[in-house]
Amino acid sequence: MQTIELINVRKSYDQFVAVNNLSFSIPLGGVFGLLGPNGAGKTSTIRMMIGITAPDSGQINLFGKPFERKSLNKVGYLPEERGLYKKMKIVDQLVFLGELHGMTAANARQQAVLWCKRLEIDAWLQKKVEELSKGMQQKIQFIAALLHDPDFIIMDEPFFGLDPVNATLLKDVMLDLKKQGKTILFSTHRMDQVEKLCDSICLINKGNAVLQGDLKTIKSRYGKCNVQIEYEGNGDFLDRNPLVSAYNNYGNYVEVRLAPGADAQQLLHMVAEKSRVNKFELMEPSLEEIFINTVGKTDA
Amino acid sequence: MHNIFIIAKREYLERVRSRSFVIMTLFIPLLMFGITVVPTMLANRRSEETKRMVVVAGDRDTAEMIRSRIERQQDQQKSGDKGAAKLGQKRSLPPTNFTVEVSTNTADSERAALTAKVKDKKLDAFLWATPDAIKARKLDFVTNDVSSFIDNGVLGVAVNDALRRSALKSKGLNDDEIESSLQSVEVAPQSPLGKNAPNPQVMFIATLGMVMVMYVTVLLYGVNVMRSILEEKTSRIMEVMLSTASAKDLMAGKILGVGAVGLTQVGIWGLTAGIFSSSALVASAGLIKGVLSLKLLLYFGVFFLLGYVLYSTLCAAVGSMVNSEQEAQQMQFLVMMPMILSVIFIVNIFQHPSSPVAIFGSLFPFTAPLVMFSRIAIQPETPSWQIAASIALMIATIYGMVWLCGRIYRVGILMYGKKPNLPEIMKWIKYA
Repeated sequence: MQTIELINVRKSYDQFVAVNNLSFSIPLGGVFGLLGPNGAGKTSTIRMMIGITAPDSGQINLFGKPFERKSLNKVGYLPEERGLYKKMKIVDQLVFLGELHGMTAANARQQAVLWCKRLEIDAWLQKKVEELSKGMQQKIQFIAALLHDPDFIIMDEPFFGLDPVNATLLKDVMLDLKKQGKTILFSTHRMDQVEKLCDSICLINKGNAVLQGDLKTIKSRYGKCNVQIEYEGNGDFLDRNPLVSAYNNYGNYVEVRLAPGADAQQLLHMVAEKSRVNKFELMEPSLEEIFINTVGKTDA
Repeated sequence: MHNIFIIAKREYLERVRSRSFVIMTLFIPLLMFGITVVPTMLANRRSEETKRMVVVAGDRDTAEMIRSRIERQQDQQKSGDKGAAKLGQKRSLPPTNFTVEVSTNTADSERAALTAKVKDKKLDAFLWATPDAIKARKLDFVTNDVSSFIDNGVLGVAVNDALRRSALKSKGLNDDEIESSLQSVEVAPQSPLGKNAPNPQVMFIATLGMVMVMYVTVLLYGVNVMRSILEEKTSRIMEVMLSTASAKDLMAGKILGVGAVGLTQVGIWGLTAGIFSSSALVASAGLIKGVLSLKLLLYFGVFFLLGYVLYSTLCAAVGSMVNSEQEAQQMQFLVMMPMILSVIFIVNIFQHPSSPVAIFGSLFPFTAPLVMFSRIAIQPETPSWQIAASIALMIATIYGMVWLCGRIYRVGILMYGKKPNLPEIMKWIKYA
């Protein structure tokens, strides 16, 4: 069974196609990245996944069944647009949202206190939201998404506006949830932020999926085509070398992009002949590079 | 269903606990007290002020007659209903005390002199009742308080009375004959239902009171629904809510929760009014009898609830469409228009409860709450098929509006930026 499955989903607003024939599925457990630039259709996709809007065509299966509202009790959602009732007490607010997710008031209260302790804001439980700082409001919003112990957690731009301390705190909570077997979906345009967290990804651009699958497989498919070399001596080997498609030379340190089909070992031999090699490392491409590469191709 | 209840519960508790609810609940009765009781109390404090006026007439008899009638009229006004009923007049605020002097100098120079005195405030007023003026049926009353309509009204009645008496006296009638011929009679409206029928005046005032309570409450809480949706929209909590509850549940919960707050508030007011006026009720039990029947109160409940649900549904749609309080106010006026129109025409409907306008108004769903209720209250013999049709039409309209506004709401709450125009709203309705 998949956590969620989108089959040929399409959504348009008037003339504008927000999501075009999108298909992907997220397996049970693990972290999934829904990535793409601003306006790619990420939020539109998420809204359809949790029934805020309905797709024009296509099918969405949640927890192995065609979408039904009842299943949302096992989904936690952190929207990109954060919002809470400003005049409501933190604890009342969390209990209210918990109840909406099918919890009893007593259970919701208990969980709210536990989570607030864990995120170190339990002193604020009886305060109103408007009395809290932005960062604290963010934490409340996270708790609201996690309070009812969902199996599937959707986070739209989760790190937006977080300071490094809180970002780390959140990341640790996420890794812990992953360990418990939960499925987590990160949606963001900041690919570098989630690259290390994701098990699998779907890159979307202009409403279309441009690349998807297991992150390791994708990276290996793109191969290790970047080389970092620290050397002493002559740097002439870089010029007019058929193995090198581009480079960035810092004197005794150079970053090289290999030409398609070039063998890194051959380059190593070549460098070693003329100069002393201190370090020679094959690098994986970053998600960003892969994205630019792929989108560049589809656009062309 | 469960979600609707949770949402309504939150809405209710947050509102009832809020400071503004407490203030409103206390403030409105105080305001009512202020505008009804305080002026009466002030008015009942007899005006100590005495003003001086001169009556100028062609002969001493006419002048004295006018003076005696003015003084008599003032005494009767002060002693309240007793005298007023005799003269066929409603009780009004006590007039100023005038000390009346008489003069028979009708020369133009005297008029100029008196005018100058009034101008210099040496004299408060004078009445120019010369034979010529009486013949022309127009007497000039020169005063610094031309706008004091109560004084001037009292004076008019007194002077007319005096002139009639003078005329009758000159025809040779004696005082008793004059008195009996000028005795006014009371015309008492009577329903064909007989003596048990409620007093029409009390009925009129009680119905007007209930209509106003219905109007104000529907308006107030309709706007409350709109505000609170706008607030949720601007605080961006909508999306969190939508990830658990459907837009329909959100809207229904909000309308029910705010409506329950409205009922609570009206209930508190009603109870307070009941307690405070219980002594008055005992005193006028005879008058009230038959006006506030259980049946009428039941109809009040039905039309109040239907009206509230209809208008708050419309307000919910408006609240979801707009982005700011200013935009909301413009739209709110349009939505509330039929309600405002009903109030403007309500007295007309009281007077002609079977006119085509009244029948149309009582069947047209947006004016039906106020108009149909008024008809039922004023005219107990209102055909029951019309009552049934009115309620049925309202329920059907509410059903349609909930569907329509639900669709607008669902899209509107996620739309930010510019105010949508009509074609855009039509598109929203069509969205899946």
